[in-house]
Amino acid sequence: MKLLNKCGTALALALWLQSQMAFAPIAAGLDSGLVDQGVSSEPLAIVVNQSNPLENLTFSELRKVFLGDRSYWTNGRRITVVMREPGEIERKVILHDVCGMTEDQLKNHVLRGLFTGEILVSPKTLSTPAGVRKFIFNVPGGIGYLRISDVDPSVRIVRIDQLLPEDKGYKLHVRMQASD
Amino acid sequence: MKQNAKANSKRRSPYRLPFWARQWGRGSRYHAFLLLVLISLVVAIVGAFVIRDLQASNTEAQVMYTGAVHGLQRIGELQYDTQETRRATLYALTTSDSNLQVEYADQSRAADQRVRDGIAEYATQAEGPGEIKLANNLNQDWTSYLKIRDEILASILEGSTKEAIALDLSSGVPAFERVRLDLNEVKRQYQREAADRLASLVASSHRSTWRLIAILATTFFLSLAAVWMIQRSRMHSAIQLAKLQMEFVASVSHELRTPLAVLSSAADNLADGLVAETSALRKYGAIFQNQSRRMRALVDEILLFASTEDRRKHYILKPVDVTRIIDSVVSSLRELPHAAAFVIDRQTEDHLPMVLGDTLGISQCLHNLVENAVKYSGDQKQITIHTSSHPVTFGHEAEVQISVIDCGIGIDRSELERIFEPFYRSPRVHSLQINGTGLGLSLAKRIAEAMGGRISVASGLSIGSTFKLHLQVAKGEDVQTDQSIDLLARQTNHE
Repeated sequence: MKLLNKCGTALALALWLQSQMAFAPIAAGLDSGLVDQGVSSEPLAIVVNQSNPLENLTFSELRKVFLGDRSYWTNGRRITVVMREPGEIERKVILHDVCGMTEDQLKNHVLRGLFTGEILVSPKTLSTPAGVRKFIFNVPGGIGYLRISDVDPSVRIVRIDQLLPEDKGYKLHVRMQASD
Repeated sequence: MKQNAKANSKRRSPYRLPFWARQWGRGSRYHAFLLLVLISLVVAIVGAFVIRDLQASNTEAQVMYTGAVHGLQRIGELQYDTQETRRATLYALTTSDSNLQVEYADQSRAADQRVRDGIAEYATQAEGPGEIKLANNLNQDWTSYLKIRDEILASILEGSTKEAIALDLSSGVPAFERVRLDLNEVKRQYQREAADRLASLVASSHRSTWRLIAILATTFFLSLAAVWMIQRSRMHSAIQLAKLQMEFVASVSHELRTPLAVLSSAADNLADGLVAETSALRKYGAIFQNQSRRMRALVDEILLFASTEDRRKHYILKPVDVTRIIDSVVSSLRELPHAAAFVIDRQTEDHLPMVLGDTLGISQCLHNLVENAVKYSGDQKQITIHTSSHPVTFGHEAEVQISVIDCGIGIDRSELERIFEPFYRSPRVHSLQINGTGLGLSLAKRIAEAMGGRISVASGLSIGSTFKLHLQVAKGEDVQTDQSIDLLARQTNHE
């Protein structure tokens, strides 16, 4: 048992170090101003099931939800995070802006959480916005993200820091090249 | 002559038909027609019933198809979709790929929507408390299952497979079983309905068959009855005609025998040398003359009737002055011994127009009418001949009417239609022992019609009769020469 505990601690330490190392370039990127000239942006909405009474999340609460640090909603339903597949631009925004992690860092974070029991369910991965919508629609505790143009009445948008995606100062945007 | 009278008094018609036979004969010509109308009516009514039954059967079949059969088909689809809802949910358990799971959830919801629509359709069509209750139960049980299904789907998508299986086994399976039982009940209900409608359809079909048999049988028997009645009517008419002809032969024989007997007796007396004096010889000559004239008149009448029997006798119509014809007829009548005592009152309108006709025809016609009046006047020996002109009226052209009016025994209202029939003689006339052939009026009518005219009659029992000869007024033609009338007058004088 002692050996197992030592191995676990070592693994956790390794993962933590890796994540700390991964933060540095992202933070540098943010500081250098990633919103370049010649790019357009579309708000990225955080959506939940229609039955979810949640109205607002602070940005830090949102981060906790996506990182699995918070596992239940206030109504007692288990939180199930749904994400797009790796490489999708929306996922990159969430990773960058909300989680502040890279793919690998998030992967490690989830593995560690699942291993330690801090995370109950790993984030679900869906390939299309429609899939995300349907997932959220079917799972009362589901939370995910969609471009504002992909949102429909089957899901509900949650305010972030009291702001809706169309509001000024809303922090989550998908940045695209003008040529796209 | 007394012998004749005696013979006449003893004479009864041996061919007189009984009362019921006369009534049947009178009615039988209408009976066949009425029976045919009745047959048509009965066939139409029963046919309408059969058509209504066939239409009802057709409607029943359509209702059965659209109702029960379509319902059973919809229940089959509903059962499939409920299974599909559950199957898609369970498929989601078989994979850990969230994309596939979402797709299965989608399929489950699509099938679920079809089931909801089917239940709503059934609830709309439900009739009666039993069906409505069944529809409500089905809807309720399906909604309960869907709640569980949603939870199962959520668990599957969340990745809690064990939780989903446990929920399905504990709640999903019983809930789905209730839905299945409900659907089976609906199916049984549709099967019962279909069986009822099929039984109704079979009953309706049987009813139609029996009605069709009934209509055929009715038509057959009524047709037989109609044929029987028509045959009977014809037979009766033939018998009646034969009897009338027999009566006619008897009458003619009798009419001929009387003058023949007189002639024979007179001839015997002459042959035996019993008559030698000149005055007696003249008297016998007069007897020969009168009796032979009587016989000739009778034979002429029969021949004339025979010539008009086939209605082919045609007259050459010319403008004729009726006044002179009436004069001629009256003067010829005065020479008849049995008419000598009669007072003949002539009432002739001034400036009478010429009529279109044949002098001899009009004369014959009038002669028959006046002689008829003489024959049936009884003790009232007064005859009026009234002549008047009448302008154009609705349905008739301008005409001259010659009315022969007597105050005699009259004619029963029921017999007015028959007095113009050949050989017809009223039973009352028989009982009063008035001789005749039954041809006079028939002959007069035929002659009048052959000249484009007609004869009408008005009569009352014991009041008398009025026979009117209607003749067309001549239109601007030349006045006929009086040759025919002169000829007639000469004929009369000669007779």
